[in-house]
Amino acid sequence: MSRSISLHPFTVLSLAVATVTITTAAGSWLLGCAVITACLVLAGWVGRLQRLVVMAVAILLPTFASLLLIHGLVATDASALIAAAGPFRVTTGGLETAMTLGLRTAVLVVVGLLCTLLIDTHQLVAAIDLSPAPPQVGYLLAASLFLLPQMAEKQRAIGQAQTLRKAGTGRGLTGWLKRVRLRAVPLVLASLQDAHDRSVHLAARGFPAAGAHTRLRAVQDSLIQRRIRWVALFCAVMGPLVILAPLWGSK
Amino acid sequence: MSPNLLLPEESATRVMRRRLLAITGTLLLVGTYLTLVITQPMGIVEGLGRGVALATFAAYLAAAVLLLLAVLPDLPVSTLTLIPVALALNIILGQFVGSVMVPLYLDSIGTVLVGFLAGRRAGAATGVLSTLIWSLFAPTVLPFAAGAALVGFLAGTAARFGALRRPYFAPVAGLVAGVLVGVVSSPVAAFVYGGTSGVGTGAVVAAFRSMGDSLLSAVTKQALISDPGDKAIVFLIAALLVYALPKRLSGSFEFIRRHRVLGQRGPK
Repeated sequence: MSRSISLHPFTVLSLAVATVTITTAAGSWLLGCAVITACLVLAGWVGRLQRLVVMAVAILLPTFASLLLIHGLVATDASALIAAAGPFRVTTGGLETAMTLGLRTAVLVVVGLLCTLLIDTHQLVAAIDLSPAPPQVGYLLAASLFLLPQMAEKQRAIGQAQTLRKAGTGRGLTGWLKRVRLRAVPLVLASLQDAHDRSVHLAARGFPAAGAHTRLRAVQDSLIQRRIRWVALFCAVMGPLVILAPLWGSK
Repeated sequence: MSPNLLLPEESATRVMRRRLLAITGTLLLVGTYLTLVITQPMGIVEGLGRGVALATFAAYLAAAVLLLLAVLPDLPVSTLTLIPVALALNIILGQFVGSVMVPLYLDSIGTVLVGFLAGRRAGAATGVLSTLIWSLFAPTVLPFAAGAALVGFLAGTAARFGALRRPYFAPVAGLVAGVLVGVVSSPVAAFVYGGTSGVGTGAVVAAFRSMGDSLLSAVTKQALISDPGDKAIVFLIAALLVYALPKRLSGSFEFIRRHRVLGQRGPK
């Protein structure tokens, strides 16, 4: 069953920033695993667990493999040796470093992706428009997110058209290069022409609009949420300082 | 008449504020980079290492956002409408290349294209925005926004100084840009993530580490192997795409006309 969370997009983002900074500063396995578990539970509750897991695994699998290669396979520390052969040296300390770094990245990835899945794109664009950020930011975010599927569809259509006329079906590097050229050039030309046409219309409408203007979409907000945002941002800055300050003197 | 139909007033305070933002962003980026390279903090997972990771992440991201805020209000509407197209091209062409197992990233074609067509400010803004939007799907790219801004900035600079007047100048400019981008981005990879996120690049870093290099040194060497080649190809592809544009379209960009970016190929 799919549920939704009706929080202001900035509230979700500020809570995510606080969670990531505090978890990274704490550097605790237990806390890291707890945060990831909480994110998975939340994703399951809103009915987006499968999507979160697929997206996170796609990013984290190569990251963990890379970290194991760098820190696990050629460890330079003096901890207990597990195996050694030529330049390769596997130690407990090296494996621990790789797993700690992997967990740190995993927290960032899982929390970040959960934000993406929880926040409604339309709400985010509206929230940016209503914020003191330059009006161009909201337009660019909205245009990019809505243009992406359109251009992907255009690219598929161009590919199908080239295949129908049997163009760019060659094998090897030459065939691949020809295929890229036959797909990329029409896509870029058409997209740039569209952008040029759009700019004329936007300029005629006085974009970017100066001053306050009415929006049809309202973004749900409250005093409590505003306070939560400030507290979260305060924690995001002060949390790591409080956690790490005692360590500055000891090193 | 509606204020929206008038050109915005360019007050001295606004110009000063933008310059201040740009200078602060650049100083933050350069300062963080130099601090990391000079001090070379040890122990990336211990207490201080965690602080270094957070500080590097925050400083690189803040520098990119400051540069974006300095540049964005200056961009004309024709460039603003071009940026989303460039972001989509970065992702779509990057994915197409990825799908055929070619060992290249080619994920900055759109950024370089905007740099070539609309100049270094537009290129830098495209780089930052591209990273910010891509981070919605891959949060790990967030601190690399400054590197992406540098790609767009260098593309615009190269175009301004004639890199597109001959087809063979473009890959050379890309090669130089790749070296700079690799050097600037490697502290993020080393101190925030403790290495790279790809298995192939991770193997190269591991090879350098096994020869006795420090983590930063190994990651920088890997970046100096990967980035120049990638950027040389990206610059060449973007240059060929610009050549393929009708003169009517390429000539509609003031940057192309003012700096005679395309030389004899360009609009008269």
